[in-house]
Amino acid sequence: MEFVATFVVLASTYALLAAGIVILYRASRVLNFAHGELAIIGGYVFLSMTGFAGGSLPLAFAGALAVSLVTGIAIYVVVMKRLTGQPFYVAILVTIGIGILLKSLIIIVWRARATSIPIGSGTVLTFASGARMSQLDLATVLVAIAFYFGLYLFYRFSRLGIQARGTAENPLLASQRGVNVHFVLALSWAIAVLGASVAGILYGGRALLSPQGVVVGFSGLTAALVGGLDSLLGALLGSLIVALAEYLTIQYLDPILGEAVPFIILLLAMLLRPWGLFGTREEIERV
Amino acid sequence: MGSPYLKTSYSDVNAILPRTYQKVLVTAALLLLLVAPFFASNFHVHLMNLGALATIGALALNLLTGFCGQISLGHAGFLAVGAFTTAILVVHLAAPFWSVVPVAGLAGALLGLLVGLPSLRFRGLYLAISTLAMHYAVGYAVKSYQANIGASATAGVSIPDPVLGPLVLSNDRVWYYFLLLMTGLVTLFCLNLLRTRLGRAWIAIRDRDIAAEALGIHIARYKLLAFVVSSTLTAMAGSLTAYYSNVVSADEFTLELAVTYLAMIIVGGMGSVLGSIFGAYFITLLPFAVDALFDMLPVAWRQGVQLVGFQSGAVGVFIILFLLLEPKGLAELWWRVEIYFERWPFKYRPLEPARR
Amino acid sequence: MATVDDRRPLLQVKQLEVVYHRVATAIQGVSLEVPEGHIVAIVGTNGAGKTTTLRAISGFLPAEDVVITDGSIHYEGEPVHGQLPHELARRGIVLVPERNKVFETLTVEENLAFSVLGRGGARALLQQVYDYFPALSSRRRQVAGYLSGGEKQMLAIGMALLCRPRLLLLDEPSLGLAPVIIEGLMETLQRINRELALTILLVEQNAVAALGISHYGYVMEGGRAVYEGTAEKLLAHQDIQEFYLGRTGKDLRSYREVKQYRRKRRWWG
Repeated sequence: MEFVATFVVLASTYALLAAGIVILYRASRVLNFAHGELAIIGGYVFLSMTGFAGGSLPLAFAGALAVSLVTGIAIYVVVMKRLTGQPFYVAILVTIGIGILLKSLIIIVWRARATSIPIGSGTVLTFASGARMSQLDLATVLVAIAFYFGLYLFYRFSRLGIQARGTAENPLLASQRGVNVHFVLALSWAIAVLGASVAGILYGGRALLSPQGVVVGFSGLTAALVGGLDSLLGALLGSLIVALAEYLTIQYLDPILGEAVPFIILLLAMLLRPWGLFGTREEIERV
Repeated sequence: MGSPYLKTSYSDVNAILPRTYQKVLVTAALLLLLVAPFFASNFHVHLMNLGALATIGALALNLLTGFCGQISLGHAGFLAVGAFTTAILVVHLAAPFWSVVPVAGLAGALLGLLVGLPSLRFRGLYLAISTLAMHYAVGYAVKSYQANIGASATAGVSIPDPVLGPLVLSNDRVWYYFLLLMTGLVTLFCLNLLRTRLGRAWIAIRDRDIAAEALGIHIARYKLLAFVVSSTLTAMAGSLTAYYSNVVSADEFTLELAVTYLAMIIVGGMGSVLGSIFGAYFITLLPFAVDALFDMLPVAWRQGVQLVGFQSGAVGVFIILFLLLEPKGLAELWWRVEIYFERWPFKYRPLEPARR
Repeated sequence: MATVDDRRPLLQVKQLEVVYHRVATAIQGVSLEVPEGHIVAIVGTNGAGKTTTLRAISGFLPAEDVVITDGSIHYEGEPVHGQLPHELARRGIVLVPERNKVFETLTVEENLAFSVLGRGGARALLQQVYDYFPALSSRRRQVAGYLSGGEKQMLAIGMALLCRPRLLLLDEPSLGLAPVIIEGLMETLQRINRELALTILLVEQNAVAALGISHYGYVMEGGRAVYEGTAEKLLAHQDIQEFYLGRTGKDLRSYREVKQYRRKRRWWG
């Protein structure tokens, strides 16, 4: 039971990251290589916010979320919007550039100090079956579930969500039906960065925040790929798979190999089923 | 000679330097490069050497990504293979320099063949991801090797100075001329390769691979060739770098390194040999330029500021700036200057909208 | 130049010139007028520039590398050329494109819900659309990609109606549809024009169907508007008869008699 708890927590972190990647890919066909950096910077921003908010955690959290929304919109408006019409790899390379920039920012502003976020990991809850989980871990799982549920409701039932889905499929038609495509894309970026920031904050409560932590982005990327780049459900399942594989490898095989697990899974996925579990097959550009 | 736009023979069409002013400029540049070490400090010569080594890697990457259109994030892996083959041959077999570099190239070729296989199945994004996966596979392999032979993670494996006949390449200035020669040969090789059917096939594949196949170009063969040629050159560059810095360490071959090379060809100009050279020197010298700028600031400002952050940040900024403003890179800027002077006093103004 | 009515036209296009990718001029010197409440048709063969004209009126996205290099488009008296599609849609100019006219991954219901622009009375309008197109009503939950061609066309027009247009632009609505369906579609368009007092600008290769319901028509060829007139005048014109309706004076036609390449079309008189 304990083992289930541990890897589910890990999966929740990856799921929050994978959600953002899927949202961005569906909305604009852009694979965001800067997602890990966005997550870690989210954690650092929260840390700084606790300073500004005089120690009030909820206020700091709200502040950090606000910053993440603004960052997402800013990335779209300042950079991504101007790339319309360019071949796909330009967008990917730009996100790599943004990632480099964000990582440098971590070094410059926060001195690349490895630090942890002091949120209540202390209180340990005991379940009926004898499993034990910290409050933070429980929060992580609940937040991930809530986030996915929220996204589901949003995209399935709200007008804005339907418009977002339509815009992702056919931006010209959406524009001809009165939808401001830039608004929808900026919104997608805002939601994606929000998810990343939340993941980073929760991650920072458990592990150390540092520039090296950005590798967590690759686990999220792998999770999204394994699930299918345009499927949120796939992202959820992919996160579970990647988390499980990592956990098992670290526990029973070689701890150092644990780092390489996402990439091994990536390799296998590319060989066996590149479009992932639930991705649409037309996504692949077959030769 | 005649008009620049009217070609009357195949040699005109295929000429590397068709215009007189280009011949003049290149000759002048070469002369400058030949005499530079006599006027430059040791440090500057060292910088030029770094630039030259980077140029070989950048040219190789541009062949694969810029000319053939295969996005590869695995460049660091090829460099690593070259470097570690060198390490293995030197440490375990005490092999001489003139044999190590070609063998390193061969190792690179084999890896290139392997890494190129996914390109037969995927294009675009998924190809990039496959190369990324390969990058980590290679990274893991070299890290294990380094741990295995007991070399510490930071110090790495040390490589002695190469011996080339009577010449020992230890001094930076001696290296300078050797690298100048090597880079020149590689540049010439690339220029020639691109003038042949191979080069044209690559460009066709990059632009419209389905149409290329319909025209009878065997895209599988040419794509694999692109990977193999690129990886061979890259591995040799890795090998030379290992000899130059006298050390090989698995820590160097990070994803950042691959991205740095991508930055070189983005900033320099994808699909341009001149661009590879510009980009390689630009990105190599950029951290040093940032450093120099830093030194000009008053000491009080510099207190406790992390320089390395600004150095890597500068690379990121330039990647983004170039992709936004001048996606064809420095080579395009150079081309615009050339065109301006060539067409002076006529001005070409593209069609402008009546209202916007 | 005769317009059917003397009121100020809803749409006025003057000397429009559109260039693609900075090198290809798609239309040049195109002028037309659409009076309010009327149905106006543009007929012509492939490549005549009809779609470009409609796209210019309804707006281009910046990524498309198309520019209006000359001329003007006035809607309700205001210049609207160069605006973005979503701005024009909100002002009442709604285009039903020729291809990719519905969101294939969304259901019929979601497609219709997509474009309702916020104001009250949405439900009533939705019911009206279902009245015009009963086939849609029974397929609400179906994914739009699996609809037949005719159903997709109906859905597309329904979506457009839900944007509360004042000017409806239709690009080749009859393309790929069976003649029986085309008849029904044209009838419905006439109904919509009458009941909703909706102005319609219709582009068609099927000149008979289009001119059958239109008040006025323009003929486009090679990127220019070469002829115009009332629907009756156009239908009676000898060249239209020969080139678009396939009728010559003779009963029997063989390809040898067509000689289109030799005959110059006379667009005067």
